[in-house]
Amino acid sequence: MSELFDLVLLALLITIALLVVRARDLLVAAIIFSGYGLGLCLLWLHRGAPDVAMAEAAVGAGVTTVLFLVAIGVTGRKEK
Amino acid sequence: MKKPLVIALLILLALALLAAMAELPAVGQADAPVHTHVSARYIEQGEAETGAHNLVTAVLLNYRGMDTFGEVLVLFTALCAGFAVLLAAARNGNKHYRQPPAPQESGAVPVIAVSPVVSFVVRLLAPFIALFAAYVILKGHLSPGGGFQGGMILGALFIALTLVLGKQYSARLLPVAWRPWLYALAPAAFLVVGMIGLQLTGYFLGYPQEPAWHGVREAMMVTLEIAIGVGGAVLVASLFLALESD
Repeated sequence: MSELFDLVLLALLITIALLVVRARDLLVAAIIFSGYGLGLCLLWLHRGAPDVAMAEAAVGAGVTTVLFLVAIGVTGRKEK
Repeated sequence: MKKPLVIALLILLALALLAAMAELPAVGQADAPVHTHVSARYIEQGEAETGAHNLVTAVLLNYRGMDTFGEVLVLFTALCAGFAVLLAAARNGNKHYRQPPAPQESGAVPVIAVSPVVSFVVRLLAPFIALFAAYVILKGHLSPGGGFQGGMILGALFIALTLVLGKQYSARLLPVAWRPWLYALAPAAFLVVGMIGLQLTGYFLGYPQEPAWHGVREAMMVTLEIAIGVGGAVLVASLFLALESD
């Protein structure tokens, strides 16, 4: 059961990673990437690393996304 | 022509990496090198030697304090590099860096148009998020969490408040005159605590072991956690403000 949870989560993470790479709209890519951070946070938590999970939730899902969004705001939204 | 070559190279790289992975010892194998050297000592005596119930904090602040000092310096350097790039781009009118639209008359306007629901929820939750961040920072040596994690929560809260309430508010929350001092807060705290350790034990970043000094040891750890937390929050917030600035 526990192994199954990890496997499903890993499959989900790989899918999300592929979606991020495929997205042509950088805004969409940044938002999906925050979902990747959230999934990774769950995985850390389930593997028994709550410290890393907290950092991942705050940095990966929160702060990085905001910085990406601001960076997209000052440069451009479409991939050339 | 190029694409098949790239794919072939990637497959080769993946095969090499997978082969290397197969050589690693199995997860949880008792005689793997990771488990036979220092980690047994950390697990058995970490709490008694460092006074931190959370072994992650024991390693971060005590056994590997110098590494954390280096990490804090790396973050400080990264902030300096980020400022340098942004300032140079703004000054040279780099064509890849679109100039923001001319600033309108500055009132208490939010950075972007925010719906009243978002604004209300952020303002309602702000004190609770701040309290949680303080809890995570201060309890870092007893439970999961610590300076980095709490600092990121604090920084995210600051960004949310800036987005909702505008820059006037963020300047009031974090006065511009303080910012340069706060950038270097974490490395400076490590230097000071390290020097105190040098005085007390003879080692830089050493912590006194005697039972009578446990209060001092805890105070040193909490000082470091607070400095890492506030420094990290300011780092994240000022990167955001530097990108946003007009």
